[in-house]
Amino acid sequence: MVVQPQVRFLQTRLGIAWETRRQLNKMAVANCDKRVYGSQTLVKGSNEERDDGNDRESTSSSFRSSDCSDDLEPEWLDDIQKNGELFYLELSEGEEEAALAHANASQGVSTNHVHFSEKEDEVITEQNRKQRCGSRTKGEPALKRLARILRRKRHPSLHKGRGKDGGKGSASQPASILKNQPGHRQGVMVQQQQLKEVCVYLNPKRLVGSSACVSDSGGLLEALLGVVHRSSWSRGQRDPTVTPQAERLTIHGLIPNSPAIKSGHILIGDVLVAVDDVDVTSENIERVLSCIPGPTQVRLTLETASADSCSSADSSPARPTKASPPVSQLVRLLWGEDTTELQMSIGHIPHVVMYLSLKLDSASPEEEEEILYQYPVSEASSQLKGVRGIFLTLCDMLENVTGGRIISSSLILDKHLVHVGYWKESTNLLVIGLPADRVPLLYLQTVVGDIVRTLKVMYGSLDSAFCKTDHAPKLDHFFCLFFQQLIQPSRLMDSSSAQVPDISGTLFLDGLPAVRWLALPPEIKMEVDTVLSDFESSDFGEMSEDFFGLRRLYVILGCCLFYKSYLIANHLPKEDLLDVCLYCQHYCLLPLASEQRVGQLVIWREVFPQQRTGSGSIAPGYSQPQGRHFLLIVGLRHFMQCVLLEAGGCASPASGATGPDCVYVDQVKATLLQLEALEAGIEERLSAPPAPCLSCADWFLPASTARDRLDSLASSSPVFSKLAGAVKGSSSRSRGRSLFKERSRRPSPQRSPSDSGSEGHMDAGSGFSPHSTPDPARKLGGRRDSFGSGGSDGSGGSGSLFKIPRMKHPNPFYLGTLKKTLTERETEDMYNTMKLTSGTENTLFHYVLMETVQGIFIAPTHREVAQLSGSIHPQLIRNFHHCCLSIRAAFQQSLPARARRAADRPQGGGWGLGPVKEHGVLFQCKPENWTDQRKPAPTMTYWVIGRMLLEPVPQEFYVCFHDSVAEVPVEMAFRLSFGLAV
Amino acid sequence: MMLQDGSTQLLCLTASSGVPLFTRGASKQLPFSVIGSLNGVHMFGGGQGVVLSGCETEGGGKVVWRVFQDSVMLIAVNGGGQGGVGCSREEEVRLQRLLENVWNCMVLVLGQDELANIRNVERLKRDLRSCFGLIDQMLEERQEGVLGSLTHCADLLLPPNPTLLQEAVDGFAEAADSEFGCLIIHGRIAAATEKWWRLAPQEVVLLSALIRSLSDSASASCDYPVFLPHGSPTVAHRLLRFQLLPGADVCVLCGPSPSLHTAETGLVGRFWAPLVETLRDCLAVGERCVPQAVNLRPDVLALLLINRETRRSVSSVLHPLADAPPPSKARCWELLKLFYIFSTTRYFTQEESVCVSTEESGPRGRANDFARGFSHQPLQCYLVTEECKSYALQTPQHQLFLLFPPSVPTFVLRTAATQTLSDVVAATGL
Repeated sequence: MVVQPQVRFLQTRLGIAWETRRQLNKMAVANCDKRVYGSQTLVKGSNEERDDGNDRESTSSSFRSSDCSDDLEPEWLDDIQKNGELFYLELSEGEEEAALAHANASQGVSTNHVHFSEKEDEVITEQNRKQRCGSRTKGEPALKRLARILRRKRHPSLHKGRGKDGGKGSASQPASILKNQPGHRQGVMVQQQQLKEVCVYLNPKRLVGSSACVSDSGGLLEALLGVVHRSSWSRGQRDPTVTPQAERLTIHGLIPNSPAIKSGHILIGDVLVAVDDVDVTSENIERVLSCIPGPTQVRLTLETASADSCSSADSSPARPTKASPPVSQLVRLLWGEDTTELQMSIGHIPHVVMYLSLKLDSASPEEEEEILYQYPVSEASSQLKGVRGIFLTLCDMLENVTGGRIISSSLILDKHLVHVGYWKESTNLLVIGLPADRVPLLYLQTVVGDIVRTLKVMYGSLDSAFCKTDHAPKLDHFFCLFFQQLIQPSRLMDSSSAQVPDISGTLFLDGLPAVRWLALPPEIKMEVDTVLSDFESSDFGEMSEDFFGLRRLYVILGCCLFYKSYLIANHLPKEDLLDVCLYCQHYCLLPLASEQRVGQLVIWREVFPQQRTGSGSIAPGYSQPQGRHFLLIVGLRHFMQCVLLEAGGCASPASGATGPDCVYVDQVKATLLQLEALEAGIEERLSAPPAPCLSCADWFLPASTARDRLDSLASSSPVFSKLAGAVKGSSSRSRGRSLFKERSRRPSPQRSPSDSGSEGHMDAGSGFSPHSTPDPARKLGGRRDSFGSGGSDGSGGSGSLFKIPRMKHPNPFYLGTLKKTLTERETEDMYNTMKLTSGTENTLFHYVLMETVQGIFIAPTHREVAQLSGSIHPQLIRNFHHCCLSIRAAFQQSLPARARRAADRPQGGGWGLGPVKEHGVLFQCKPENWTDQRKPAPTMTYWVIGRMLLEPVPQEFYVCFHDSVAEVPVEMAFRLSFGLAV
Repeated sequence: MMLQDGSTQLLCLTASSGVPLFTRGASKQLPFSVIGSLNGVHMFGGGQGVVLSGCETEGGGKVVWRVFQDSVMLIAVNGGGQGGVGCSREEEVRLQRLLENVWNCMVLVLGQDELANIRNVERLKRDLRSCFGLIDQMLEERQEGVLGSLTHCADLLLPPNPTLLQEAVDGFAEAADSEFGCLIIHGRIAAATEKWWRLAPQEVVLLSALIRSLSDSASASCDYPVFLPHGSPTVAHRLLRFQLLPGADVCVLCGPSPSLHTAETGLVGRFWAPLVETLRDCLAVGERCVPQAVNLRPDVLALLLINRETRRSVSSVLHPLADAPPPSKARCWELLKLFYIFSTTRYFTQEESVCVSTEESGPRGRANDFARGFSHQPLQCYLVTEECKSYALQTPQHQLFLLFPPSVPTFVLRTAATQTLSDVVAATGL
């Protein structure tokens, strides 16, 4: 019944029978735990919802009533552009959101709609508001939702055609507050409290009020913002709705010439709810404001009592589109929102992309005619634009002088060193300028090669990308993403907050001609492959050519499947995989799927796979079918499937602008829904103890004082003694795993002296001494699986089954006693755990293994790295990646041309040192801010080694380990690749 | 292709007017149009507030620009290609060093005044001819095993009996009314007075190069006016050089007195005649640079040890057998140089000696922009290539670069390196 409307729609569209499809859908629905499928909104019940049967029943029924209207179109249909391309991204709400909705549902409020859709506008009811006040943590998402509504409002073009909700379907729901409703709804709205967002520019260095003001009760709120708030005790009255400690910040007055009054949108009587999405009260407002480091724009969320002013402000077209919703900048960028602010923030950093023509055509009188494309238009970049003559001259001249095309040049611009990369294609020249502190010269060529290949995949050739004027906005967007990712990745990924972005890591991992692979247990892998193969066989009923006598529209060339940014299955040839992956990387689709749950992602565009469209040398007697290729990417939650389709060849040829075909999209969706049944298994794999075991760098720093402190803590505090008990094999769960890990790991006596030696410690003999024999007993490494690491993402009941704590005791001497207490399964697990390093201690910190033939690489998962925590370890990983850039550059230079990703650029020339097989660097680290003057800071030394293997399969292996044990990287690589059965 | 594979051409022009002063290197000179455009792009950029510093082409071709004292523009063009000595990045560092050295050569010979304020271009052109010998030496790096122009550290020859020579040099310099005296054997410094070591490292390197080129001229003695690029760029000193034995020269930097003749007749014989046998012993050390007494591991192919504090270095290629498997001796020197550049550009800090002038510190400082990206300090590194295995280590005081034959197991390298460092330092006190 749910599938019915769409079925009908498609029937009319394609004129084919749908019986089989319905059955398939039914099957999918059954597979997916009775989820509603095929309607406009996909209701994805969280586990809690599933457990709570009754509740869910009512939810879904309310949906059906609303969804089974005659709205037949898939929601992305309106986003299809003229040329058939589609980029549709819809976020689902986070877990907290689900929990909140759940809580609301139990209170009888019908905001139990987890998934945001345009039809049922999000409602922030009185009750909801109260809850916000009550629990701040849960209040946040509500704000997010609200902001998203705002966002959508500002971009009606993106979602037009679906806003025809009127009141239909939401009759049972409380009225929406922020939608542009027909006038008669206003009456309902007046009672509602409304939120509005105002952006103001604050400069802490130039306080508005006099200095006396700051000492006043007004503090920074008055001084900086210009908002007067008289707390209730000073007013002698008490608002009953607020708790005495944390009082709501009602605006009682505005200071003239302050940012607040200048904005024009902050009114007396409003309540300041949040500053930059941080909920504020009278208690924390000073703290929040004092955190503003320098002149910046902040976003204030205000609750206003007057509906009229708000809605008028909302609907007025003159309203500046400044209110940035607290969804991550990346998503905003992908949604194609206003990018000027982002671009402004890096305006002072010189960077530019230009596509210049080398042809001199004096006939046309236009100015700057040789610039075919340029981005961005900022001061620093215009300076680079001004010297384009240099680029053109050098490109033209140097080829004759040195016999090779120009690759790069370096220039200094206002004391910024800028590297400029070149790519010449026929008579045109692509020039990309990047600041040297973001992209080292060593890696510039790889970056430029990748961007060129991405453009070629998307547009066929550089000329066709740049020379069509209607591509300009798309290219602006493309390069905005490109520069943002390179220059201020922290802004894009603000959702993942705290950690310093690892630019070297991004450069290195993205630059590898490979995709991050997650090795799944064989049974899950098989199931995944089966599902994908079923899909690829195109054996859906409506595809039956015999039956209809029609040629099918597309042939599925293959597909690959990502789960949370890891590739888990690939049925594409390597080059195609790399093409697809480059596209995904460029649009940050992979981190998107791992961090935020994608409600729905549908991407459709024509692509030009380099291997297929190029004149590549193919086996004689075989010629590539001349067809057009399309890339279909569908993402649901953490899954993302990329499908490469071919039209022409044995499918019917495509002509003109070809948009996505619902049948194919729905088939992919069905596949993904089918795969969601395997999510628990994949999650289990992700939360499994890392194989091979990893150590945290911090454990190796003999910070004796800290350890002593921990030990004494353990003896005194009950929590810690409980933890200690857990080590001895009790299965009681415990929290505070990071402490636990540090506690449970004991330094080996042999290692300490060599570690604490001051720098320049010459006695390397100790490093190479007798522990280097591999331990035959495969003693377990020094870390313990930490369960429930906060990322199991609602695998709920079934998931917990797999979260039996596995005891991995670091001390091998305990192994005997442990063995007795462990269940069979756990023992088996233990032996499956692999230790990569030799010696008794596990000294492995990090690794990257790349299989060149398959185009995949493995590295510890994000979660594994996050579990290790520590303060030095993230530093170490950054350093590792930075070093890998250098190592890989050395490998690259000795590699023959064919193995390079930027394939069509021959790399002749001498690498004076000859082909590099192995390269290692020894690093020393000290804890930061070491205060003890008397003792030298303890140090820890570790190796970063890269090894290139050509036999038996071409591999590149990068590893980082403590230097106490001499390792042979080749052996480690073998152990790793065989152990993980890549 | 106008430039041969791997050859380097040096162009010198006046910065303001673009008049070519000279070109050196490469058998075939680049056409003037190319020279003009190379100068033109840099000049145009300067007008737009953009300083062009380097350029790289496929196959390792490389162009490096630099303007000195706002008056002289030096451009180095490298042809790259199969014969290129390094990858482009290493090549760029080498070329940057080259430009700096060439400028210092010009200052050494002509003085800064004449170069900074060019009054008569034609005369300058003529005057510059006197630097060509020195410049060509820098360009061709003719003498194997002298790495000073690259490392900016004085190349040492460790004599078997240093005290005797030291006393002789001190006495000779004193007698010649100078504080700066130095004994050069095979182009490397065997002994020098205390003050000689106080000169800027670049000057020490440069004077050694000058003495090498002067002794090639085969005259027994000479009196040569020199400007010290850092010490006294505008006032000339006299460099007196006397050949003691073929391959052994002694020199002093002095003022107006004594005359060359008095020094030659009165002093040289007095101080150096008794030491002829000692000098012969020194000459016997030859290019090994390290006396036989120092026990080196037999599997060390080549070594370069730098004292980071005193800015002195000793380098040696130890080739025991004539029919030893490749790499050849010359190749060993080349690999050692390349490995030195590789390690110092990527990992180790290369001490920047005093820059020619402050405004030019920009392009120089960036050689290490990659090394600065490390959050932890690199101490050692190694490289396994098909030809050999290389190992480098850095302590606060020393940098050691070693080449091993490929047959040595990788895990031995570290022990071997640390052992070599302690052995050589203990034996020579470097």
